[in-house]
Amino acid sequence: MSSSTPSCFLLNTAMSKAKTQQPAVIHKVIMVGSGGVGKSALTLQFMYDEFVEDYEPTKADSYRKKVVLDGEEVQIDILDTAGQEDYAAIRDNYFRSGEGFLCVFSIKEQESFQATQDFREQILRVKNDENIPFLLVGNMVDLAEQRQVSVDEATKRAQEWKVSYVETSAKTRANVDKVFYDLMREIRSRKMEASRQNNGKQKKKKDSRKKKCVIL
Amino acid sequence: MADGLARILSKPKFDAETFIAKLSGDGEDALLDMKANVHMLNDETAKALKQNVYKNYSQFIETAREISILEGEMYQLNHMLNEQKSLMGSMMEMSLVSDRAVVEGPKGEEDQKESPEEETRRNLAFLLERVEGCSNVAEVPGRQLVHDGDLVELDAESHTQLQRVHAFLLNDSLMIATWIPNRRGPMRYRFVGLYELDGLAVVNVRDTGPVKNGFKILMFPESHMYQTDTAKAKRQWLDALEDTKKKKASRDKQKKEAAMRLAEQQLQAALASPGEADMSKSFTDDVEEEPVAMDRDFLQADWLEELPEDLDMYIAQRNFEGAVDQVEKVNEYLTECPKGPALKEFRARIEHRVKQLTDGLMNELQVSPERSLRGGPRAARRAVTQLIRLGRSAQACDLFLRNRSAIIKYNIRQLKFEGATTLYIRCLCGVFFSSLSDTAKEFIKAFPGHHGCFSAFVIWSKQELQSFVSIFRRQVFESKASLSTIADCVQLAKRHCQELSSIGLDLEFSLATLLDTAIQQVVEETRDQITEGIKYRAADDLWRPMNHLSQADCDKYVADIAATGFDIRPYVYDKCFVMLTMNSIQFAKICVTFSDDLLKLYTVELEDFIADSLSSVYKSQVAHIEQSLKSERLNKEHSLILKNAQFLLEVVMARVESFYSDRQVPFPAQLQAINAHFRKLKAMANK
Repeated sequence: MSSSTPSCFLLNTAMSKAKTQQPAVIHKVIMVGSGGVGKSALTLQFMYDEFVEDYEPTKADSYRKKVVLDGEEVQIDILDTAGQEDYAAIRDNYFRSGEGFLCVFSIKEQESFQATQDFREQILRVKNDENIPFLLVGNMVDLAEQRQVSVDEATKRAQEWKVSYVETSAKTRANVDKVFYDLMREIRSRKMEASRQNNGKQKKKKDSRKKKCVIL
Repeated sequence: MADGLARILSKPKFDAETFIAKLSGDGEDALLDMKANVHMLNDETAKALKQNVYKNYSQFIETAREISILEGEMYQLNHMLNEQKSLMGSMMEMSLVSDRAVVEGPKGEEDQKESPEEETRRNLAFLLERVEGCSNVAEVPGRQLVHDGDLVELDAESHTQLQRVHAFLLNDSLMIATWIPNRRGPMRYRFVGLYELDGLAVVNVRDTGPVKNGFKILMFPESHMYQTDTAKAKRQWLDALEDTKKKKASRDKQKKEAAMRLAEQQLQAALASPGEADMSKSFTDDVEEEPVAMDRDFLQADWLEELPEDLDMYIAQRNFEGAVDQVEKVNEYLTECPKGPALKEFRARIEHRVKQLTDGLMNELQVSPERSLRGGPRAARRAVTQLIRLGRSAQACDLFLRNRSAIIKYNIRQLKFEGATTLYIRCLCGVFFSSLSDTAKEFIKAFPGHHGCFSAFVIWSKQELQSFVSIFRRQVFESKASLSTIADCVQLAKRHCQELSSIGLDLEFSLATLLDTAIQQVVEETRDQITEGIKYRAADDLWRPMNHLSQADCDKYVADIAATGFDIRPYVYDKCFVMLTMNSIQFAKICVTFSDDLLKLYTVELEDFIADSLSSVYKSQVAHIEQSLKSERLNKEHSLILKNAQFLLEVVMARVESFYSDRQVPFPAQLQAINAHFRKLKAMANK
């Protein structure tokens, strides 16, 4: 009871501080892919420029970083999801919060490549948007000698989906920045497009929602 | 001399050897003297000891009784202390539960295993206490509090701080509540949202930038970000969430396997209308908005805010009257309150208290072996009165009567079976029926106007009577006592029953029904025995007048018989002869006792049976007389036989008739018929 006043005070100061510091634009990126393909490794390499060798399954981590995208200061919010998440309902909730997706597989593991198909479908279903910013990422090119998934194969799938395919190495940092920045650019252009059509669309949406209410 | 000796012997420094040595020096006579003296002293001491015991006998008894009472009091004290201890314990838990929940995260599970139900109730009751608007959350059965703590809610986009919240992790969902500013009473938080754990996505927010110790809860369409004070607290939250989700998942899986089809149906239903559920929820929320405000205002009164705490205090102090006063007051107040969720919730809180109160009161009336029953009816009346005020008259009645049963049982057990059966039965009846009438009086005082309870009392009385009769039967009928004893005992019990009818409780007919078969059986047995006896004696009846040899003896005999109610002087002749045979006199005696006993047992239902038994006995004697009259061998004795017959059928029968008229019972036709037999016999003799 007695502690409420000082913490309230703290809260207020922190609030004003936070408001002044953070850039307005946030791009929300979600890492998806099977377990052990290097989602966390890519994220950590991007965030902290370091490569973590030991593998520990992620539950769901979120990171935020200030970056300069084509001269504009923005924030990137990365949600590193669990490859092993068992519950579709929970995965849906993760996906709903994302604006762009990095769908990662390991080039030395055919199954992880096959799994991307499922992830893609789930994302499309959840976001209900064929043109959602999306990148197919083949990780672990530093271990090219163990390759199981050919570039052709992956590129073919990317073309089917009308997305780009990029090969990365979290270990050597090859293309790591590229995938994140490419995705952010896609997200940015989508947002601009959306804001242009904003007014009409929103009205339509509202109408449909109202109808639903009436039915009930 | 003996006094002196006693003094010497009782000296503390008394040395037997020197004493004997000194004594033996004086010679044989002195020794013999001394021996006699010692004997005398011994006798005197024994006598004195006996006298002392007698003198202080009543004191011994009193002391023993005091000790037993003290023992009882100590038991009661012990019980009360234990109760107080548990009260203290529960109070400690009440005030510290939130801290405990955090500290004992994993350890708490063991406790929960021991009594999950209990734990749940307590936890959720505690929720009700603290969180406004969560009554529907606490109502779900099997829900438990797993973890809770203070969090700061952040804006998910900008990471700016929004508000302080308190989160409660339940075993199937996560409940978020905000702090109530300017809180009054025990309510600290206001309910904000409840999120089902399945589908709830938890995201660990890495410490990048200014925000530390954050985590997100994604639950479409909402997403919330929270912040803990320390990294450790965050770790606990994430682990607890993960763990609980896993447990819930495995629990759900088990349930699913158990009821596969049902689950499938539900799943389909849920898939079919996820949006609908959301919409309907928001719709009802809107509707309820207004009354919420109304009843919340209504509940704003100071004394209402403090009521739950006051009630707790009253219960802890065992001030049951005060607590019930408060409950009545609030109930009266709340009837005017507009209906709404806040009222419902407040009511739930009060109900919880009332339940505790009721439990406490019931405990008061509970019969437990370690508890002394000395409190008696007055102590019980207090608890009963309060329970009635709480509207629990049925339970109060039940417990009250059970308490009384225990007291009766205890009192009966205190009786020692010693001496004559009648004596014991007298004590038994005294204890039982006075307890019964006490209870009845107490009951009328305790439950005035609760007419429904009176039938319960009547039923209870009947049950008690049954158990009384079973003791009675065991002592009286199964002990092979004589019919006279049995008749006396039955009469005693009946008389007590009649006394009860003065307070409006008539158990006489029940008693009669319960004893009926046993009585019939014992009467039949006795009747058969008597008939056997008659036949046996008839076989060697020589019809000789009694010869008492001297007038003194004869007078003595006549006086003896007169004591049983017969004047046989008219039958005396020649100073020492009596015209009646031994057999006739014996029959007369038996007949009188038998009829007396039977009439003691008289009830309207048994009327015919009694008359039949009596007449059958009579008939067998008459048959003997008839037989004798017909006998050639006894031709000479006709006048004597007739004299005897006249005695039996007129004098003795008249006496039997007088028993009937004493009890204002009409003389039965069966016996009248026998009475008329005499003329027939006379005619037969004259033939």
